[in-house]
Formats: sequence, structure tokens, C-alpha cells
Amino acid sequence: MNERFDEPSDETLGRRLAGELPRHPAPARLRVAIVEATPRPRRAAWLTPLVTAAATVMVLALVALPVIPRIAPADPVDRYVRAVVSEHARTLMWGARHGEVLPAALPWLTEQSGIGLSQVFVGDDRLTFVSAEPVYLERQRGVAIHYRDEDGHMVTYVALPGAGVTVPDRARVQVDRYRPALVRDSGFAAWVWKYGDVACFLVSDMVSADDVERFKEYFVRVRTNTEPVPAY
Amino acid sequence: MADADFQRQALAHLDALYNFAMYLSKRPADAEDLVQETYLRAFRFSHRFQPGTHLRAWLFQILRNTFLTFYRVREREAPIAEDGVPEWDAPMFHDAPDDDGTAMDAHTDLERAMRRLPEEFRTVLLLAEVEGLPLEEVARVMACPVGTVKSRIFRAKERLRALLRDYDTK
Repeated sequence: MNERFDEPSDETLGRRLAGELPRHPAPARLRVAIVEATPRPRRAAWLTPLVTAAATVMVLALVALPVIPRIAPADPVDRYVRAVVSEHARTLMWGARHGEVLPAALPWLTEQSGIGLSQVFVGDDRLTFVSAEPVYLERQRGVAIHYRDEDGHMVTYVALPGAGVTVPDRARVQVDRYRPALVRDSGFAAWVWKYGDVACFLVSDMVSADDVERFKEYFVRVRTNTEPVPAY
Repeated sequence: MADADFQRQALAHLDALYNFAMYLSKRPADAEDLVQETYLRAFRFSHRFQPGTHLRAWLFQILRNTFLTFYRVREREAPIAEDGVPEWDAPMFHDAPDDDGTAMDAHTDLERAMRRLPEEFRTVLLLAEVEGLPLEEVARVMACPVGTVKSRIFRAKERLRALLRDYDTK
């Protein structure tokens, strides 16, 4: 008989290893040593007064908050972006005030907002139109149009009279053939650009690197197909 | 810092870890140090453990990495073949010399043969065949592709068979 036939097959060898190889149980002292060497969470003696003091400061701050003057950004663009982001966040939380369907609502929207839309992006397979409504931001009447993408991201377009608004060069990004500014505020991203004397904003919570790439596509769709004009 | 529940779950694998440490370091004192260091690291970095993944494999991985860091680094590395395992004629790893009187005694040919295998072969057989870890987990412990694990198991068994054959003829 060939000698190779006496040798264990892979499976047999595996079974021998599992069944015959001596196991070495851990000595009892090792478990004790590990448990004793493990640092236990211990509250430092100085922690209690520190926590108490911090809590007191927080309560006082909350009480004083209404009388502390609000710090508003000096840059008009930052102020506009903050207002637009607040409007976007309000819509996210409580929905649009009006659920009008474009273009039926356009005359009413123009009348209420002071912004006419000679052309408007009404959505496509990626961005679905949700609603359009007049807004009042930074003491200006304007128009807001809300969209939602297939992943559930809310995207808000806002147009406001913006004769005195200058798009910051430092934040400009080349997107397709446009150079809008990308401004971030409170965890939201906003494209800022001018269309004549109208300041335009497109806001979303798409802030990660991948999301911004998609947000660029949304900007191009809205930018290419929306033409706001002052109607006052 | 690890919470009590995590510590309890981790300590349930103490015997398996100690057994693995014994076959890696070959000396009870080193095995105890190795296991103790493994648990200290596991508790310190418990926040990095992803719940739902294999805790035992994670602990084996820490233990092996600790072994490689603190024990094997002292020794001169042997020439490495394509799959990361020393060639047959290369000197065995001197992870812990077993002829200085403190090494564990081998009672069977199988155990003796296992002790003579290079660390990569010993580890792959211990994890896959003795501890029954899935190949994907073994690959994670050894930080190599599953294909490499399969190849190492095959070669480890070949070499184990050759060693057993030597013992038979003697």
C-alpha cells in the first residue's frame, strides 16, 4: 500500500487538531489578576463641586440669555445666509406655510413677494417640487421654493432683492459655467449668487464632500432654469 | 473605559485566549503576561469595538498583535515567502525558546508538531481548526485576505503532516 494512504486527509487532520490537541486552561489567578488590574471608574473628589458650579453658570446663562444682545454677522451676505438657513430650517421642522403648485400660483406669488419668476425650475426626476411661498427675511420680501430629492434632502431656493449684496470672492466655487459662493452656516450649506439685482440662495443640509458634489448638480438645475426679476 | 458588561463578555473568552497565547509564546509566564496585556488593551480601547461583530475574533486580533509587537520583534525576522510565511528551510521563529526549561511540555506528537510550525501556520490552524473561527474572521485577525488564509491552512497542514511523518518514522 502506498504510504500516502496512511496520512490523514485535511479533514481528518482538522478533526484531530480540534479533538486531540491539548488545551491549556487559564490559571485561576490570571482572571483575578486581570480583574484587579482593570481600572475602575472612580469619581474624583473635586468633580462634585465642579459640576455644581458649572450647572449654576448654565442656569444663570439661560436666565440672562434673552437680555444678551444678539450677535449678528457684519457681512450682509452672512446675514442673508443666516436668515435663509433659518427659513430653510423652519420649513424642515414645520413645513411650508403654503402648498401652492407652480405655475398656477405665480401671479399670487409675484404679488406677495415682489419677485417675479420669468422662468422657474419646477422639478425633475432628481428634485421634486414641494411648494413655493413668499417670505420676509432681513426686512425684505422674497420668494422661497422648496424641493425634495430622492434621498429626502430638502433643498430651498430663496430669491431676495439684493442690490447691496456682493457675492464673496473668497468662497466662490466653479460649478459648471457658474461661479457661485458656497457658504456654510449652522450645519447647512448654501450656494449664493446674484441674478441681476436679485440675491439668490440654494440651501440644504448636504455638507459632506459627496453631498456637495450632488448639491452642485442641484445648483446647476435651479440656476439654469430659474430667472427671478424684481417686480416692485 | 470598558463597562462591566463588556468586561464580563470579554472575560468569558479567557481560556481560549490563554490557550492561544500558550501556543504562540510557548511559555506559561509569557502567556499570562500576553493575556493580561491583551485584556488591558481591550478594556482601554473597548469604544473601538463594534457591537454585533465577533468579540472573540477581536480579542484574538489584539492578542496576536501584542505578541507580534512585544515578543517577535526581538527576534531576527526569517526570510518571507509570497504568502508571508517563512520558507521551509528558514530558521523557525524564536518567539520564545523552548529549551530553557521554562517552556511548556509537549505531551503528544501533534502538540510537538504544532509547536514547530511557524507562527503564521500555528495561528491559522489554531483559529480555524481548534477555535472554529470562520475564515473571514481568521483573515481579520491575521490582517490578510481570505484566499491567503486558505492557502496558509493548506500549507500548514502539509507541513504538519510532514512533521508527524517524521515522528512516526523515528
